This record gives sequence, structure tokens and C-alpha cells, in this order.
Amino acid sequence: MLTTAPHLHIRRPSPTTTEFTVSTLPPQTLPLRLLLAVVNLLRLLLGITVLLVLYAKWSLYSPYTAPASPPEALSLASLANALQHVLDSAPGRLAQRAAAGTPAWALGPAALAALYAAVRRVHAAESLLVLRGLGIQTSSSGATVLGAAATRFIPTEKIQDVLINEAFRGFEVRHYLIVVVDGEEDVVVVFPKLLPRRDVVERVWRGVRGCLFDVKPRPKDDDGQARGNGRRTNGKI
Amino acid sequence: MPRRTYNIAMVCDFFFPQPGGVESHIYQVASKLIDRGHKVVVVTHAYDDRKGIRYLTNGIKVYHVPFAIIYRSASFPTVFSFFPMFRNIMLREQIEIVHGHGSLSSLCNEGLLHARTMGLRTVFTDHSLFGFAEAGSILTNKLLKFILSDVDHIICVSHTSKENTVLRAALDPLMVSVIPNALVSENFRPLNYPTEPSAPGAGFGHNPPTAHHLGPNDPVTIVVISRLFYNKGIDLLTASIPRIIMNHPNTRFIIAGSGPKAIDLEQMIEQNVLQDKVEMLGAVRHEQVRDVMVRGHIYLHPSLTEAFGTVIVEAASCGLYVVCTAVGGIPEVLPSHMTVFAKPEEDDLVLATGKAIAALRANRVRTEKFHDQVKVMYSWSNIAKRTERVYQGISGDISETEFYGYETADSAAWGATSRSGVRSFALIDRLKRYYGCGIWAGKLFCLCVVIDYLIFLFCEWWWPRDQIDTAADWPRKHFEDSDED
Repeated sequence: MLTTAPHLHIRRPSPTTTEFTVSTLPPQTLPLRLLLAVVNLLRLLLGITVLLVLYAKWSLYSPYTAPASPPEALSLASLANALQHVLDSAPGRLAQRAAAGTPAWALGPAALAALYAAVRRVHAAESLLVLRGLGIQTSSSGATVLGAAATRFIPTEKIQDVLINEAFRGFEVRHYLIVVVDGEEDVVVVFPKLLPRRDVVERVWRGVRGCLFDVKPRPKDDDGQARGNGRRTNGKI
Repeated sequence: MPRRTYNIAMVCDFFFPQPGGVESHIYQVASKLIDRGHKVVVVTHAYDDRKGIRYLTNGIKVYHVPFAIIYRSASFPTVFSFFPMFRNIMLREQIEIVHGHGSLSSLCNEGLLHARTMGLRTVFTDHSLFGFAEAGSILTNKLLKFILSDVDHIICVSHTSKENTVLRAALDPLMVSVIPNALVSENFRPLNYPTEPSAPGAGFGHNPPTAHHLGPNDPVTIVVISRLFYNKGIDLLTASIPRIIMNHPNTRFIIAGSGPKAIDLEQMIEQNVLQDKVEMLGAVRHEQVRDVMVRGHIYLHPSLTEAFGTVIVEAASCGLYVVCTAVGGIPEVLPSHMTVFAKPEEDDLVLATGKAIAALRANRVRTEKFHDQVKVMYSWSNIAKRTERVYQGISGDISETEFYGYETADSAAWGATSRSGVRSFALIDRLKRYYGCGIWAGKLFCLCVVIDYLIFLFCEWWWPRDQIDTAADWPRKHFEDSDED
């Protein structure tokens, strides 16, 4: 319910720039926003709880005890003191009891899994930015909210071709868009995680060729080149 | 009414880059079917560096399915593990007819089973002959029976092969068509043959090729091109060569090919001191075969079993007089004036070769005409046309009377093994057909079919049809039907 099949969103900030974004984010409606807010709040709570339990477990074995006198502000000791206060509160005592009751071998993996669930990205988004005369930049959102998007810029003179290919993947055959880069053994797969379906890939492919090579025939253009590109665009892969 | 075209999948373990007869057969038929406006994809397994999806000349799309490699370590589970991939390929290519080749290809057998489960029409081409008596043959025959119980139509390469297949798999002979192999006759021209047919306006037709007479002292060269295995009759050859050379001293032999029997041949040459009479070339590639053949006058084919024998057609096309054993489908292949037949035994082979040499020396054989005659007899476009007719028959596009050539008045009496148009996809009818395969085998086959069907249901649920993209078609060729050839 929170995600949809990968769909395409095209943005044209300027006549020579196009951004193709494929994401699993469904259209923003009020119920969806509310639901997302609730889910994110729950995830935040889950994360805090797990951290608290982990701290409680650590404090069980910790040789340090909270100092009696109030320490000066903004020091490591003051942080420990504040955490001690949290542990002494009602949820803190609950966390302590949970920490004491759970063996470490079970707590570790469970905490890791819960933390992963808390920071995992709900929606994946991958995009392709095409700048005529400069090149193209692929970007792919990280698996968690902590990681940054992985981007890769390919300058125009390095691009040998942009094309759609088919390959076996698992029990399926998928269409995918690739960029053939000059001087590299491997091709660059665009939208590598989402692998959108053929209609999306074809629209992006036409858009990229249109924007990058300007295949629309123009009177001023070099005639042969325009015709050549036009023919290649019209043909199916 | 416009002629209907089909989407056809050729399924076989054997395909290029591996060389061989089945491989080139699939390629040629696929290529000619595409010329006739059909869409053809080939499904085969991955070869070393050949994985994924490739296109060949003429727009033949080849799926080199990577995970048939699992087969070598575990055989039984792959019967079903290929199914999801197979289903995906069939759906994305919108296949209507699955055409399997070669009874020893497990990929083909699995593909036909899955295709029937998916409700597709199936055709099977058998390229080989098998015995009935040995343990291996009995097992193979049982497997063949399992696969063929539910196939819509079967194509054999010769009438002998048809008889053999009908007996092995207990089939209704009307379900089996005979469509021979063919050859690309341009690749098998005799020496000195005009490469371009003379232009229409240049003269009155083109002159018949001049006869080249064999002088009284010219040596007769006998060519043998064969893999050197037992079943190719190399033992016969080894025994015959010294006797032939003793009877006709002005005779040379050229033997091309490799295999375990090469040692026997070499021993024979050394024992009889025939080094200057018998030349052994070792393995030759298929494109060099013609160059070897045109060096000779007679082609000797001592095979013990052969479904069709494309090589003797190639030899005749190169203008060689053919001496061969009358086994399997060989007697059907060439007209009698091109061949001398022998029984598969030493004395008769020596005798037949002697007759052939005598006939050549007397210049009674017009070998220079063979090429044009063979060219008319065998062409791949004709094969494709006949294959297309099979497709039309099983799809119900031509009437049963026309396809089978008889009235199906009592079609109800055929029951579960009834004709194509009514060969039902219903699971219960399929189970009936499989159950008749044997006391134990029938139950085992039914179990396999039921499991296959359950897997099919699971696939339909896990990978719904509307989630599978259809692949773009290669631009179809426009084809005008002509009643030529």
C-alpha cells in the first residue's frame, strides 16, 4: 500500500536538461501522507526503543556509575548523567528489565534487524539527469535513510551509445537501459535496482536520445547526421 | 484471407556455436520460416561465453538460458526448475507453437511438457534412429513415449525414421510427417561449375555442363567423410579398402574425419603398405567439406545406421557418384542413378564399389548433372514451406481432411488420442494419454504432469501474466505466397 510499481516522472528544468525519475512513491494523497507520518513516527519510536534497550544492556555490565555530584554542563559525564536519568524513568526501567531478561546472543541480531527496519528507506527512487552538451548523471537512492544516493556522471564524449537490452535475471527476462561508456569493459545500467518495465524504459530511451543528441531534424542541422539519428530512433531495438 | 503467421519457438539443447547437423537444420529452417513472415525464437542452453539473448542473421532471436548448466550436477529437479523461465520466455515472445528438436535433448523434452501444460501447440522433430533391444534404448524409448504422448505433431527426416519413431513411441502414424533435411546447394558446387547462373538474356538458357571423361589411366579417387565411429561403419571400411585397392589398383582414397576408429584405419594402412594410396586428412570443418569432396569421383558411405544422411546429398551435389549401404533412411535420399547400394557387409561393399568404378571408367554416369538435379530436389525454402503446413494443420488453419488426407468420420472413436484440432489441453485428457504409457511408467508420468501443472498454477499466481512485458518483434518480412517449389 505504501509503494507502487516503479513509475516515471519527467522534469524539464530547462530546454536542454531533462531529469527522468523512476520511483515507487505513490501519488501524494492526504490519507497516504497521514499513513506515512504514522509509519515514520513508529519507526522513530522503534529506533529509540532499541537504542535505549541496548544502552540498558550495556549499563548492566558497565563499570562506570553515575557520579554523585552534578557534573559541569556539556561534558561526557553530563551525557552519562542524562542517560542515567532516562534509565531511571518508567520506560527506562522497562528497558532495563527487558535488557536483563534477554541474553546477549538474542539481543544483538534482534536489535540489528529492528534498527535496519527503522532506517530502511520505504521508497526507492532512481534518476537519470541528461544535460545536452555535458553528459548524463545517474543516481540511485541508498538502501537506508542514512546513506546518500550513489551518483555517477558520464560526460558526453565518453558516451558511445544508449540502448535497451534484454537479460536473464532470476527466473525472468528483463528489459533494461544501458549506457555504453568509452574505454570501460562493463556497461552502466540505468535504474539498476528498480529495473522498470519496458514502456518506462522505452520512454526514457527516446527522451535521452532526443535530449542528448537532439534527434529532431532541424533545418540548420547537419543533414546527414540528423537523418541518421532519426532513423535509429524510429527503429525498434 | 491473409495468410496467418505464427510465433514459433524452436527448443533444443543443440545449437550454435556448437557445430552439427541438428544445429544447422534448426538455423536453416528458422531462417526460411522468417523469410515466410513468421517469427522464430530459438531457446537453447548457455554455451561457455554465450549467455543471454542474442540475435543471428535474419533476426533469429536466440535465448541462451543460463541455468540449464545446473543439469550436470542434478538431473531430476531441473525437469521443473526450467519451467518459470520457459513460461516467461513464451509469454514475452507471445509464442503459439513450440517446436522441439532431437529426442536426446532434455531441454527439448522439458520444453514440450511445459508447453502443453501452458496450452501451446507442440511439434517435435526427430533426427535420429534408435534400436529396440539394448537397455539404453528401452529407457530412451520410454522417455520418448512420455514426451510424445501429448505432442500435437511429429516430424521425421525420412520414412525409415518415421517407422522407427512410430514403433518406439507407439504413435498413430498419421500424426507423423516426413520432412527431409536439405542442403544449401550453393555451398556444394562441383569443380568448374559456373558460380553465377548465366543472365536470362545472355543466351538460350544455360548450357548443360560439359561431361568430363575419365581417361583410362586416370586414378579414381574415393572420398570418405565421416566421424570415425563404430556406427558409421568404419570397421567395414577398414576391411574393404585393401580389397578394393587389390581389385582396382588405380584407385586412391581420401578419408576425412576423426574419431576412435582412426587408429584401426592407420593400422590397416601400415599393414598393407597403402600410404601412397590412402590419405587421411583428420577432422575437417563443415565449410571445408566441399573442397575435400570435389577432389574425388566416388563418395563411399559405409554407415551402419543413419536417419537421413545429409552428407550423401552433399556429395551428390558436388558431383560425386555415391556408393552407400542400404540402411536406415539412406535408400530414400537419392535417386537410383546417383547411387550404388550395398548391403552392410564387406563383400557386398567391395562389389558395389567395383561396380561404381567400372561404371565411371565406362563413362556411363553423368555426374556433372547431379548438382542441378539435387538443387531441384532439396531446398530449405521447400522444407520451411512443408513445416509451415504442419503448423497450419495443428493450429486448425487448414482442415483435418486436407491435413491428414482422410475423413475423420469416427473422430469420437479416437478418444484421448484424437486429432490435432481436438487434441485437448484439459488436464484430465492429458492424464488419460499419459496413463496409457505403461503400468508403472503411466502413473509416474501422471505424477510428473500433475506436479508440472501445480507449478504452472504457482507461476501464474507468483508472476502474473500482466506483469510480464512482451518483447519487441523484429520487423516482419512481407511474404507473397507462391505455389512454386
